[in-house]
Amino acid sequence: MVQQEEYTIKLPTFEGPFDLLFHLIKKAEVDIWSISIADITEQYLAYLQSMKELNLDIASEFLVMAATLLRLKSKLLLPRAPRSEEMEEEEELFEINTAEELFQRLEEYRLFKEVAHYLQQKEEDQKKVFLRSTGGQKVMVFTQQESVYTIWEGAHHLSDIMQRFARVALAGEYMPAFSAVEDFVISQKADYIQSVLNQKKRAMPMKAFVTKTGLWDIIVVFIALLEMSRQGKVNLLQEKPFGAILVSLKPESEMVEKEGESGERTTKKDY
Amino acid sequence: MEKEQQKKTIEALLFLSEEPVKPDKLAVVLSAAPEEAEAMVRELQEDLFSAGRGLQVFETAGGYQMGTLPELAPYLEKAFSEDISSNLSNAALEALAIIAYKQPVTRIEIESIRGVRSKHVLENLVKRKLIKISGRKDGPGRPILYGTTADFLKYFGLKDLGDLPQLEVEEEETKTVQQDEADDNSAQA
Repeated sequence: MVQQEEYTIKLPTFEGPFDLLFHLIKKAEVDIWSISIADITEQYLAYLQSMKELNLDIASEFLVMAATLLRLKSKLLLPRAPRSEEMEEEEELFEINTAEELFQRLEEYRLFKEVAHYLQQKEEDQKKVFLRSTGGQKVMVFTQQESVYTIWEGAHHLSDIMQRFARVALAGEYMPAFSAVEDFVISQKADYIQSVLNQKKRAMPMKAFVTKTGLWDIIVVFIALLEMSRQGKVNLLQEKPFGAILVSLKPESEMVEKEGESGERTTKKDY
Repeated sequence: MEKEQQKKTIEALLFLSEEPVKPDKLAVVLSAAPEEAEAMVRELQEDLFSAGRGLQVFETAGGYQMGTLPELAPYLEKAFSEDISSNLSNAALEALAIIAYKQPVTRIEIESIRGVRSKHVLENLVKRKLIKISGRKDGPGRPILYGTTADFLKYFGLKDLGDLPQLEVEEEETKTVQQDEADDNSAQA
């Protein structure tokens, strides 16, 4: 049997058949317009063969190109039939009927390949310039009192807000940073959640606490729940990403110790 | 506002801004003509450069932005390494190059130039906000048309699309140039 090591030959990866053809042409050190179809076909097929031997998956596009090349080659060998082939080609990626067309397509591809290279260079350059950034996540807004950062501005999905919230919380920047108005709304909501849970005495889905339509109320519920969880008043359970969030009261015994300190911090904030 | 004051204001404004600031916005802030504001920006660029500062002001996506000097990157990376996002793949760069020149352009047109199916690549570029759906083409199936975004210009540090290199159209006479390149290659090999 052949040893494993033999399979560690590294083949360059190609972005597609044009990329590979382009590479072969470059290797042959001739320009696009002067390469012979027969040569390039041979090399192309040889390359596919080596890919096969290495047990690499060959994308269908490469095989379509192989067929195209073979057709072009056979056309060159056969006596030229009068241009009667009006047969509609099946919808293919390359509708290439002559060598000329193939070269044109390759040439066009080469131009864009160069631009891609230019862009890569620019990307590299630009990566070296650091810009002021708050991660693009916090947007400054103005409330009646003062400017505050909100984490839900421009969010498309609740998970966006969750992520931002987690980031702020992890960075230790989170001191219930809502202005008096928002604090009030959230503590009200927290009281409501608490009362519902006390009454039902079972776990409830987060949705159950949303009383108004619109994103705002969902956000308030969510933040209230995070706050309550932080204070150790509730347990939150989410089975899978984006799944429903189940809320249950923490047993009395667990929450007593934590309640005092954090409860005070949230209420005694002067603005 | 005095001129010195205006220049300071521009510096402060660009320092605070996370996005490129358009000349007309500068003009509003300074109560000056956009051309005046731009002249002031150029002065500020000069000042920063001649004072040997670590910051620069550059033109991007039709506005001005403040950033660090490229030569500082190796040091700054030590502090901000986690923020560095991964580079675009070759496939993504190819698709972007085609879109930048051919926009508005359909997926099929992009695929026919690349010779590869590109659905996935395009989806990712839309997600990264480097391209956007700019409309639909009249014709069978009304296929989606793609175009580049302002983020595209920002990402590559381009002033506008005119900043991209000219597509040199291959003519007969360039053959000789290519031959020279081939010679160079063989010399290296």
